[in-house]
Amino acid sequence: MMPQLVTVRVKRPDRHAVRIWVPVLPVVLVLSPVVALALLGGAVACHIYRIDVVRALGTGWRIVCALPGSRFDVEFDRTAVLVAIR
Amino acid sequence: MNEQRRDVLGMLAEGKITADEAERLITALERDQPPPMAASPAARPRGKAKYLRVVMEFLEESGEAGRLNVRVPLQLLRAGVQLAALIPPQVLDRANTELDRSGVPLDLKQLKPEQLEALVEHLDETIVEMDMEDGHLRVYCE
Repeated sequence: MMPQLVTVRVKRPDRHAVRIWVPVLPVVLVLSPVVALALLGGAVACHIYRIDVVRALGTGWRIVCALPGSRFDVEFDRTAVLVAIR
Repeated sequence: MNEQRRDVLGMLAEGKITADEAERLITALERDQPPPMAASPAARPRGKAKYLRVVMEFLEESGEAGRLNVRVPLQLLRAGVQLAALIPPQVLDRANTELDRSGVPLDLKQLKPEQLEALVEHLDETIVEMDMEDGHLRVYCE
């Protein structure tokens, strides 16, 4: 299943923590022209480097679908950044 | 269902406590339960790991402490391994040349996706721990 929600939390000293929830599907829909262009660019690159476009797209989709559950959490000097994909 | 939870439900059925009290008691019981030992490789069945964890604690020269905590689904590694099969041969040739120049005589063309997948499959038994002067690194599966 493709990612549904990306949570970004930034905590800085002397400031309130900022937490942003990014719903993936609406954002992808809004950016669909850019996504289509990127896919087209990828297909051209695959053609230039003689890579099977269908296989490349399939692998790319599998990677996107494997993203939920990823979590990157960095804390340094009272500053913390968290990115979680669900 | 454990015995204490059954007792609470029994008291609720007998009318000794109200539904609200029963809910509070069950919540308290759940809170007292010991956490599952998911991080311990010995505690889970073999091949059931879902995530690769990288936890690093470090101390900068300025004395500031930092912590890195990354959780990557093993499924993502498996999908990434399939990317290796898409690398064009000319890129592999160039990478082999650079590796050879760096003193690592490794032929990447000999690496098959099946071998990489087998490597990922067996990652869940791996624990890497490094103790350094200014930090600690632990890589494991959970």
